[in-house]
Amino acid sequence: MKRRTFLQLTGMITASAWLSGCRQGNERLIPYLVPPDEGVTPGRAEYYASSCRSCPAGCGILVRVSEGRAKKIEGNPLHPVNRGKLCARGQSALQELYHPDRVTRPLRRTGPRGSGKFTGISWEEGLSLLTSDLAGLLRHGTGDRLALITPELRGTLAELTAGFMRSFGSSRRLAFELLSPDWLSEANRRGYGLADLPWYDIAETRYLLSFGADFVESHLSPVQYGNAFGRMRQGRNTVRGHFTYVGGRMSLTGASADRWLPARPGSEGVLALGMARLILAESLFDRDALAANGVQAEQLLRRLDGYQLPRVAELTGLPRHVVAEVAREFAATRPSLAMAGESVAFQSNGRESVRAVQLLNLLAGNLNRPGGVYPSTGPVNGGAGSLAELLSLIGDMDSGRIRTALIYGNPVHSVPPSTGFRQALRKVPFIVSFSPILDDTALEADLVLPDHAALESWGDVVPLAGARREVVGLMQPVVAPLHDTRPFPEVLMAVARGLGGGPAAAFPYQSWPEMLKGSTARRMGLPADENFEGVWAGLLQRGGMFETGSGPTETYRPVFGPEPPQPAPPRFAGATGDYPLHLQVYPSTAFHDGRGAALPWLQQLPDPLTTVVWGSWVEINPRTAAGLGIRQGDLVEVTSPRGSLRVPAVIYPGIRPDMVAIPLGQGHRGMGRYAQGRGVNPLELVELLREGEEPLPAWNATRVRVTRVSGRGELVTAGHPEGSYRSDLVGI
Amino acid sequence: MKKSWLIAGLLVAVLAVCGGLALLYHLPLDLRDRSPRQPLAFSHKVHAGDNGIHCLFCHRAAPGSPVAGIPPVSACRSCHLYISPDAPEIVRLMTYWDGREPIPWVRVYSVPDHVYFPHMMHVRAGLDCGQCHGGVAAMDRITRYANLKMGWCMECHRRSRASIDCWTCHK
Repeated sequence: MKRRTFLQLTGMITASAWLSGCRQGNERLIPYLVPPDEGVTPGRAEYYASSCRSCPAGCGILVRVSEGRAKKIEGNPLHPVNRGKLCARGQSALQELYHPDRVTRPLRRTGPRGSGKFTGISWEEGLSLLTSDLAGLLRHGTGDRLALITPELRGTLAELTAGFMRSFGSSRRLAFELLSPDWLSEANRRGYGLADLPWYDIAETRYLLSFGADFVESHLSPVQYGNAFGRMRQGRNTVRGHFTYVGGRMSLTGASADRWLPARPGSEGVLALGMARLILAESLFDRDALAANGVQAEQLLRRLDGYQLPRVAELTGLPRHVVAEVAREFAATRPSLAMAGESVAFQSNGRESVRAVQLLNLLAGNLNRPGGVYPSTGPVNGGAGSLAELLSLIGDMDSGRIRTALIYGNPVHSVPPSTGFRQALRKVPFIVSFSPILDDTALEADLVLPDHAALESWGDVVPLAGARREVVGLMQPVVAPLHDTRPFPEVLMAVARGLGGGPAAAFPYQSWPEMLKGSTARRMGLPADENFEGVWAGLLQRGGMFETGSGPTETYRPVFGPEPPQPAPPRFAGATGDYPLHLQVYPSTAFHDGRGAALPWLQQLPDPLTTVVWGSWVEINPRTAAGLGIRQGDLVEVTSPRGSLRVPAVIYPGIRPDMVAIPLGQGHRGMGRYAQGRGVNPLELVELLREGEEPLPAWNATRVRVTRVSGRGELVTAGHPEGSYRSDLVGI
Repeated sequence: MKKSWLIAGLLVAVLAVCGGLALLYHLPLDLRDRSPRQPLAFSHKVHAGDNGIHCLFCHRAAPGSPVAGIPPVSACRSCHLYISPDAPEIVRLMTYWDGREPIPWVRVYSVPDHVYFPHMMHVRAGLDCGQCHGGVAAMDRITRYANLKMGWCMECHRRSRASIDCWTCHK
């Protein structure tokens, strides 16, 4: 720095410090016009326990409320899942409440579909529109032409939606989430004999081997596992657990590992079986565990004969000695733990690859042991939500069989377009959305009946794979509703009452909180009488039911049978010549599957590995980029057999040279001023693969090509000064 | 000779900084109005003095909150529906109420953001409101009684043997 510049800067800083100290004038004191009824003391904060629904992990939260306004969210220390910790997504739920673009009253579409032209109506009118439509279906005896699409629901809301649809005689209740761990419960059913999700004891393990399970940022219960990972590394005096990560892209989890094995996409199952064969061949396996589960080691070894080290090394692209070393370390260190994650499961051979990883846990004797893997309790998924059901519903919508679709959530953004969902939805004559903000789905709707924000709602939240014991978190409203909105379950109940007959009989409760209280009492095995009021108040105070009487009882019993997993060679959409690079789509740290994109705090949250804010990007290996003449921040076109997208490039050494990666979550058409038109949705590139007739959730099995467009990618990173000066970002 | 000059120069610089800071503290740089005009000519003399209404009747948050609280407009109205409803200032009060508008009172007492001042502690310790707020019962328009500088706080804290730990107020 020049002396002159230094002096100028010093002068400026001094002057501004002086000026800011000379703030003039007296402040104003604005009293209430009418004080609130409840005991609000000005200047004193109240704390309410509730639950987070920003992702399926369902952490417990404490909300600080001052003068009737929610001010700050922190983790609930009593909640066994997050133990007082909370991630950025949970903390940002405040902005959902105060979002300037919330739908403040029911809307009826006036322009063409998708134009975003709506007019505000009253709740009476909105409810009568919906009720009369549903009454028409019932009158013609065509209740099964009603479809209800939600994210995966667990707990009382799942019961309510199921009862609602049953009363119409419709089986078209779809609970679909792109990142749902259905594949994991399915693999557990086939491998361990229980169709549930596992609970990994990461904190107590000594050797963790993750096959693409990004448990620090998105896999199952990230706050819990991030905390457990910290304890695994530093919580014990004598041991620092070792961590090896397998996956073509170094995620935040991968970056926390001691060793990174960038296996070729789709070859992870082969790698696991190669390790299994070595463990068997060198007799490093846990004899007791195998004997107890009736597995013949010699027989298994014979069947894994095709997975000799040289072949595994060739298929995975990893050095032979590294594979052998990791396999020996994994088997020799007890307790050890192998996890399979989304980037493995979302390949064409994902199902078998995940089972191959499970086989490693069996061989090392990690089932039902401290530092290993246990069954988690609690309902897995309230509504069946497999991809096959999604496609069958899409078929029905496409053929015009569905007359009315009730949609809670944002499937238009989160269902890959290659399924044909968007086109099929356009053929549904009447679409109702319950979104609290005009998201991509609400833009397609004919009627929007806005739900409360999470902080205004009652509910119960069953954490996904949260604990070995049953845990149910409760949500309670911490502020009075800001707008003329109504809770989604309350609307369904009101409609059912309006219809009378079967639908009304399905709901014996007067209101949603009453139903919630009733189902909680039932869950605890108590009668819902006056005595329960005290128990209920206690539950609300603590944030939910954390100590249910029934301890963990179920254990895993491997049922591999004579046939070990056989991952087929991976298939990819797009020929190698035209599309030389593998595309990986992965959940963004800030937005998960995209539900957080409306919140400016999350948009401003730098991606932990690339520091990008306010947009999308594609990660390219420096060697590949140099070959294509691409530099950091260039605008590139990513083309797959399905289409192409333009995004800025990030030169990222933590990715295989034959891979590129784009995070999920951006590229919304609607969803308010902060998300609208920002970034791209990589699902638009993803092809749907099938195995025979059966669709595969192979969202990472598409190949692409990348070409440079220009030098102006408008990449905004937290470290780059350009980020602070972008005019469209100033003022937020 | 070089060394002594250097030491002298340093000494002068330190003294200048100290002197400057002392000057800043003592110069009347506080330009806030000590007795600002309020949007309504509310008289504490009439309420607290002539009619003897207790401070906590209106400022009722003081015993339990960091702030004393300003009465809501509804509280003013509930009395003045019956008490001199035709006085010109009361008529103006009612126009605020009819317009569903809170009265934008001008703040007289304030401490900087880095100072934590809880009313409740002082009320519970049995301090008379007048020790800081002066003879409010005799004021038509409120005039700030204390300078609210740190020395003034410390003097009383020392005298009353209250905590003088930094963290007591700066947290």
